[in-house]
Amino acid sequence: MSATAINQDMLLAVVEAMPGDKLAEARRAAAFRFAELGFPTVGQEDWKYTNLSVAAELGNEWLDAYVANGGQESDSRTGNLIAAVQNRIDAYWIILRDGFVDSNLPDVDGIRVSRIAEQGHRPLEGADAMSVFNTALLRDGLYVRAEPGAVPDKPIGILIIDNPENAMSQTRVMIDSGENSHLRIVECCLSSEAGRQFTNSIFEADLADGATLDHVRIQNRDEAHVSVNKLSAKLRRDSNFNHNSFDLGGALTRNDVNAEITGEGASVNLNGLYLAAGDQHIDNHTSIVHGVGPSTSEEEYRGILSGRSRCVFNGKVIVSPGADGTDSRQSNHNLLLSDRAEIDTKPELEIYADDVKCAHGATVGQLDETALFYLRTRGLGLDHARRIITRAFAAGTLSTLAVAECHDYLADVLDQRLANLIDAKQ
Amino acid sequence: MSTDPNNLESLVNRRYEHGFVTDIEADSLPPGLDEGIVRAISAIKKEPEFMLEWRLKAYRHWLTMQEPEWAHVHYPQINYQDISYFSAPKSDSDRPKSLDEVDPKLLETYDKLGIPLHERARLAGVAVDAVFDSVSVATTFKEKLNDAGVIFCPFSEAVIKHPELIKKYLGSVVPHRDNFFAALNSAVFSDGSFVYIPKGVRCPMELSTYFRINAANTGQFERTLIIADEGSYVSYLEGCTAPMRDENQLHAAVVELVAMKDAEIKYSTVQNWYPGDEDGKGGIYNFVTKRGDCRGDNSKISWTQVETGSAITWKYPSCILRGENSVGEFYSVAVTNNMQQADTGTKMIHIGKNSSSTIVSKGISAGRAQQSYRGLVRVMPQAQGARNHTQCDSLLIGKECGAHTFPYMEVKNPSAKVEHEATTSRISENQLFYCRQRGISEEDAVNMIVNGFCKEVFKELPMEFAVEAQALLNVSLEGAVG
Repeated sequence: MSATAINQDMLLAVVEAMPGDKLAEARRAAAFRFAELGFPTVGQEDWKYTNLSVAAELGNEWLDAYVANGGQESDSRTGNLIAAVQNRIDAYWIILRDGFVDSNLPDVDGIRVSRIAEQGHRPLEGADAMSVFNTALLRDGLYVRAEPGAVPDKPIGILIIDNPENAMSQTRVMIDSGENSHLRIVECCLSSEAGRQFTNSIFEADLADGATLDHVRIQNRDEAHVSVNKLSAKLRRDSNFNHNSFDLGGALTRNDVNAEITGEGASVNLNGLYLAAGDQHIDNHTSIVHGVGPSTSEEEYRGILSGRSRCVFNGKVIVSPGADGTDSRQSNHNLLLSDRAEIDTKPELEIYADDVKCAHGATVGQLDETALFYLRTRGLGLDHARRIITRAFAAGTLSTLAVAECHDYLADVLDQRLANLIDAKQ
Repeated sequence: MSTDPNNLESLVNRRYEHGFVTDIEADSLPPGLDEGIVRAISAIKKEPEFMLEWRLKAYRHWLTMQEPEWAHVHYPQINYQDISYFSAPKSDSDRPKSLDEVDPKLLETYDKLGIPLHERARLAGVAVDAVFDSVSVATTFKEKLNDAGVIFCPFSEAVIKHPELIKKYLGSVVPHRDNFFAALNSAVFSDGSFVYIPKGVRCPMELSTYFRINAANTGQFERTLIIADEGSYVSYLEGCTAPMRDENQLHAAVVELVAMKDAEIKYSTVQNWYPGDEDGKGGIYNFVTKRGDCRGDNSKISWTQVETGSAITWKYPSCILRGENSVGEFYSVAVTNNMQQADTGTKMIHIGKNSSSTIVSKGISAGRAQQSYRGLVRVMPQAQGARNHTQCDSLLIGKECGAHTFPYMEVKNPSAKVEHEATTSRISENQLFYCRQRGISEEDAVNMIVNGFCKEVFKELPMEFAVEAQALLNVSLEGAVG
């Protein structure tokens, strides 16, 4: 067996030992399916640059602990962590702690929120190994439904806090956007304290005709944290999905964003920013499938890398046969601040229809010498000039923010992170 | 877009113009592959011991390898035991000394192809080392090249006459264990061309070889090795057409280029092998490994290719930019029509400081064809100031074709500048309308637009090739408009 292997016998034993709630059946089926799949390895094209050995190690640790203590999780000592976020972003907050829903569910007009282990759920999707693994060990999750036409006054905030004393956690959020509803979601992922931990999370959204879903994901976890995050959105006629992701923390972060357009007139907007320093590894894989046309998609990911960090971008746009009228643009821009950082980028297009407009672009470079010179001739120190240009590079993503309420909080967190990045470089 | 359907039909159903079989007695080995066959090929070619050893090493390694499956192409499993690995025209030991001695039937073949060898060679000043079914039969302009000190000869001759060069350079760019098809080629390659340009020499003429696949069921395994020593320059042209066949033919060639300090190699290809019929029956499988090594500082390797033929193309001419300030270029036009599939692109590996590369890839997909650009730009940590610009554009003609792009960029140096741009679109109604308004027929308008689309690449081709390439493009796309 390769290094990235989960102890299958242990997994089956743990799944058997889990409580008989509404997820039990799905868990058992998934456990058997996972036994056939196993963790992805670097031999697989989609995982070429990202090695999940550490995640598997942590997974095995967690399984051992589960058997030893009967599934008791250590509680996160969140202190003022929650308040720090909640005071800055005005939203209806729900807290997901170590994979459990750990707060009162908000009461919002036209919005129904429930726990999936308790209330049941629509079928759990995802046939890939990590989704199946998530299902096999899922303890609870969140289900949010926006009734047709619902437009809540404030965004829904989901605060995901994991405690590294538990080696692993699975989280799952399922969204149903009813016809012509407009839901806005802020997802904030944090660690309660320092330490190694693996989080495997899934965010699934289903958008009915004319629905709009705005989603901002801010990941600012501990520097030893490992996470695999999958986001999938299914879009029907005239629906819109706007997604912003900000990856600031974590040792190893892998994001899979999959949007599937199944109805005419739908549009997808993906925006991402990743800031990596030290030994951080951030891998963004996105896939947009234009199943029908006319439909549009726009995607822009930006990255700033320093230290010995490594970032991966793989953006895929697939235009299915017959999806005429597809208009798709995709770009990835990277700024390398240090000699040892590495970026592997691959913007892919697979096009099976002819009446389409598709473009993609990718750039890799360092700070523009002439821009630096310009600022220096105006009396700015080299360091100051660098900061201004670097921030300008990152700030573009803030201007396209899908949920305005988190702008100020994000701007602060970003500035702090950027300062670290630039200082660490010297 | 509107086109008269009957007219379209007739154009689509056009037969492959270059499909005919020349009836020359061939001296072939029975189908199958084992160590005995490898030894037999080596023995027929009277090769020295070191070559046989090299072939066997490659063959043994090949046995341990898996056929690659990652390419975006589909084809039935190849049975490597069904292929005959050697076929040579009879008069192997008694090679013609001049064109007069060349089998007239062979010359007729070239005439049918519209390439009057003698005339063309003289008029265009091109030395033609015509590879006909794996063994070279005619070499012209030898003397002129001799005077300049250029060695341009069949590979098998080079093995005997210049073993020291072969030993030094063979497999130094594409090692025998490089990939499945390169390993197979290393084991069974029949012949090919060898070029050595000595220090400071500018090759007095453009070198050209015509590859043809002739005898049925013969996989052709060419091996080309070009060495440009310090400060030299050579332009090499390769062009191919093949007779019509119903069974798929495997072609796994290897091309190795070595450019020393200040040297420049320009390698141009026009590939027009039989692409199979409208339903994808027959056609050549073209699985080629081409790689150039810019070994010295300020060296330059430029690949230009026009790919219109073959049922399946699997080809990535690459540059290893080892020297400081070395330059790699890749200009490509690939046309796929009917059921053709192509997975092609390039690799630029930046190792030397200030190395730069340019990639311009133009893909045209029509009918039910699938085409992919697959490229890699890798900047190693020591490649300070490396520069790459990649542009790959696809043009789609028809509802059922596909165009895909898989560009890999791996950058490990912050001072590197890497850019990639790609667009995919179809011929715009506006452009067509504009042309038709001015009395240009739809067919001509499309040809004009497509030629404009490819202009950037065509201008890189040597003049006589550029003319042929444009004609080829028009023929390849005839009937595809709609």
